[in-house]
Order: sequence, then C-alpha cells, then structure tokens
Amino acid sequence: MQVDDALLKRLEKLSFLTIDDEKREEIIAQLSGIVEFVDNLSELNTENVDENFALSDSGTPTREDKSVCDSAINDDILKNAPRSEEHFFIVPKIIE
Amino acid sequence: MITLKEALALSKEELATFKKDLKKQIEAKPELNAYIDVNNVGEGVPIAIKDNIQVKDWSVTSGSKILEGYIAPYNATVINKLTDAGLSPFGRTNMDEFAMGSTTESSCYGITQNPHNANCVPGGSSGGSAAAVAAGLAIAALGSDTGGSIRQPAAFCGIVGMKPTYGRVSRYGLGAYASSLDQIGPMTQNVEDAAILYDIISGHDVKDSTSHESNEKVSDKLDASRKLTIAIIPEHVKDASDDIKKGYAKTVEALKAAGHTIVEKSLMDGKFDISAYYITATAEATTNLARYDGVRYGNRKEGESLHDLYVRTRSEGFGDEVKRRILLGNFVLSSGYYDAYYVKAQKVRHLIKDEYAKLFAEVDLILSPVAPRTAYEVGALEDPLEMYLSDIYTISVNLAGLPAISLPVDTAENGMPVGLQLIANAYEEQTLFDGALSLEKQLNFKLNS
Repeated sequence: MQVDDALLKRLEKLSFLTIDDEKREEIIAQLSGIVEFVDNLSELNTENVDENFALSDSGTPTREDKSVCDSAINDDILKNAPRSEEHFFIVPKIIE
Repeated sequence: MITLKEALALSKEELATFKKDLKKQIEAKPELNAYIDVNNVGEGVPIAIKDNIQVKDWSVTSGSKILEGYIAPYNATVINKLTDAGLSPFGRTNMDEFAMGSTTESSCYGITQNPHNANCVPGGSSGGSAAAVAAGLAIAALGSDTGGSIRQPAAFCGIVGMKPTYGRVSRYGLGAYASSLDQIGPMTQNVEDAAILYDIISGHDVKDSTSHESNEKVSDKLDASRKLTIAIIPEHVKDASDDIKKGYAKTVEALKAAGHTIVEKSLMDGKFDISAYYITATAEATTNLARYDGVRYGNRKEGESLHDLYVRTRSEGFGDEVKRRILLGNFVLSSGYYDAYYVKAQKVRHLIKDEYAKLFAEVDLILSPVAPRTAYEVGALEDPLEMYLSDIYTISVNLAGLPAISLPVDTAENGMPVGLQLIANAYEEQTLFDGALSLEKQLNFKLNS
C-alpha cells in the first residue's frame, strides 16, 4: 500500500511530531517502500493462529500488592528536570 | 589487552594503575569515538557500558539529543550486579540513537570508526562497545540486542558478542526500545570471557516481570569436548557475500573436525522475519518513546501550549531514523491497519517460534551468518529499507527469544573480520557456550590487526 500526505499528517498527529516540508516527499517514499515490503506477510497463512504473543508460556507473574517507593529517585528526577518547582514539574498553562 | 579472566585476578592497586593507563589510551584516540566519555564507578575491573544502560549519576542518553541533560537517578540491575561482583562501570559507549540502527551512524555524538578500517562502520547499534573492545580500549563491554545490536557489531569488529535468552538478564534500567525483544548481553575478546560476564549479569530480578525464575550459571561448567548436533541452513547462506560463504564453509569443516554432527535443515524465508520484526519493533518503540515529551527529563523545547511543547521537543529532539520508526509504529497500531499489520505480525511470530522449537527438537545448535557481508563503508546503508534488509540473519532470534553468540571465524579478502553466530534453544546457554568454545578452540583464529 502507498502512504500519501494525508496519511502522513495523521501519523504526525498520532506521533506528536512534525516533519519538515523539505523532508515530506522523501519520508513518504521511504514509508511507502517499507509498508509495501512488510505486506509480504499476507503470503503466509495464519488462520487459527493465536493473535496474542508472549515469549513466556506461564504469563505475567503476580506479586503481593506492596507499595515500594525510593523517594530519592523522585528528588533526583525533579532536580534534573527541564523545569520544576516545589516538587512539581512545570508545564505551560493548560486551563484558562 | 588482558582478558576479563586475567583482570579479575588483579589487585586493587594493579587495577587502579591499569585504569589510569586505559583512560589515557582512550583519550589518545578521540577519532575512534567509541566512548562518549569516561567516568568510573568503584575500584573493580573496568567494563564499558552502552549509553542506554542506567548508571546512577551518569548522563545516559541512548545516543539522542532528546536526553541531553538527563542524569540517571538509579542503577540498572546489571550495573548493581557488576559492582557486587567487583567490576566497575568504566566509560559509556556510542550507539545508534535509541538502538535503532545497524551502523552507529545515527548517534547524536557522531560516527564511530571500525578499528580495522576507519572508512567502515563498526556496526550497530552497540557499535561503540564493539569498537572499544576490538581496539584494545576495553577489557569487555555491555551492549543490548533488540534485532542483532550485539551480534552484528561484534561480527563487524571481530570480537565475541552474546545475546541471552529473553528473560535471562534483567531489563530494569535499560532504555527501552522494543520491550519484547530487548536483552542486555556481554561483548568480549573471547568466548570464556563472554560466559564469565554473562554469569555476572544474568539471574532473576523482581524488578523485571519478564525475568526468568532461575539463576543457572555456565562459566564454571564450560565443556568444549561435548559432541553436538549442529544445523546448517544452506538456503539462507546462499544470499550472503562470497567472504561470508567462505567463512561459513571453513567453520562447517572446523565443527566436523571437532567431532560435531552437521545436518542440513531449512527455515522459512527471512523476508518474513524482517516484516514481523519491523512491525513489532516499531509498534513497541512508538509506545516506549511516548515518554519523551520534554516534561520530566531531558531536553525541552518550550512552546506556547503544552501540545506545542510536546511536538517541538520531539520534532527537534529525535533524529530521522527514530522519527521514521515512531511514524511506522503508529501506522501499524492505528485504527484500520492494526489487524492487517500488528496482529498479523504477532501471528507470524508464533510461526517463527514454533519453527525453531521443531528444529531444536532435532538439533542442539544452528550455525548462521550474522550479516550478509562484512562491515559496510560509512554512508553505504543510508536507505532505511536497505538497512532493515541487512538484519535478515539476526532478527528471528529476537522474535523467538533465543540465545545466540557471534564470534570471529575468518578474515575477508579486504581484511575485515568475518563473524558467524551459533543459535541455541531458549535457556540452553550452556550448550551455546560449550559449542562456541569448541569452535573457538578448533579454529584457533586470530585477526591480523
């Protein structure tokens, strides 16, 4: 299948990315080439194959619901964050 | 360079002098660019660390501008295991941005040279780790392998690189690329050192829910005299370069001479592996990389609104290959395409895993190329699809969660190393290392440089 500019716009929105004008044509061609290649999977019969895949057959292990918190990690992250004040991350205003 | 086994016998005083000299040697060769910088933790044997493994208080950036300014607030489990065993994280090594690449060219720190030819890439994504060991500037290193990122640079640089079974080594503290495929592993000068370092970093970890519940060790039980049944896949090898074919033929003879039984087998066309891999890996990468939004860590580009801040931070912080994979991942996960691409790839993953399981009911190991040819010239893999196709021999191992080891077997006509890999069944690391040690001894191969 071919990727077009409308699809690229949708993917940019989903990705929180903008692709520069001068690169759009190139990336559309590259994505189209890759998608066309991976379309080869349709040659394989996967009828009745489980659609969920996990490497372990035993599933995700459960554990006791105990809270664990190393607050030094929080402190270090906040100290090195792009903007933080009083133990909060600062972002542009989101409510008028 | 002394081996890891030898270094583990050195005294604290000898190690201190050794590390001082090593730092000087690294700084004397800045053009190699294997290391991003050289910091040290503790008094132990120095181990180079890929730039996506958390070392507390180090800048750890996954080779990306978007993580400029981020300081790791904790140690990855593998780092705690290293220091507990008397080893020292020593220097962080260059890599493709977020481990997405096969050449180390997409790093924000610039390219790393292949120590055997400065015009060639060291492979990727763990290219800095491979180049450091190959150049005699590291005793051993840690890398990570999502689709061949330990084994391929090991082959291109002429060293040993091992990818453990999925779940053997904790991923806690590894900068995530594709969580169902990523594994940390050793990159060393020889097979025995790889087994020693694997033993140190492996084992169950409650902080990784996919960690395997066992702590079996291998290095104290290495046995090169075991006679194994080893599969060769002639159909796969026919598309490799003449240098790789020659190395493969030489290796098959060596394995026979060592008393192993060689049997011919087949596997499905590698083009399906590439498709299943790039759908799965980009889908998981898209999800994992959603966290880089400029709010909590790394490099923020201010915007007028929060949305603007997210988009500017990500558009200016990520490089081209990472953006491509995020866009692709969102494509295969998006409404209308999810079933045809993502779900289909998961089904194909079952087929790949089942095919290996059937094969390993009959054989102990598989001998396979690592890459279709020796190290590429800088800039030769600019086309992304071309680069993806070059992963043809390594990615099915990640899709099926198997262990594999790449080791040097020959020198190509152009003087570059030829590496091949042995693949074992899941959790059969002992068989993998025994077979690799037997091959290493039988070949007794030394690279020229």
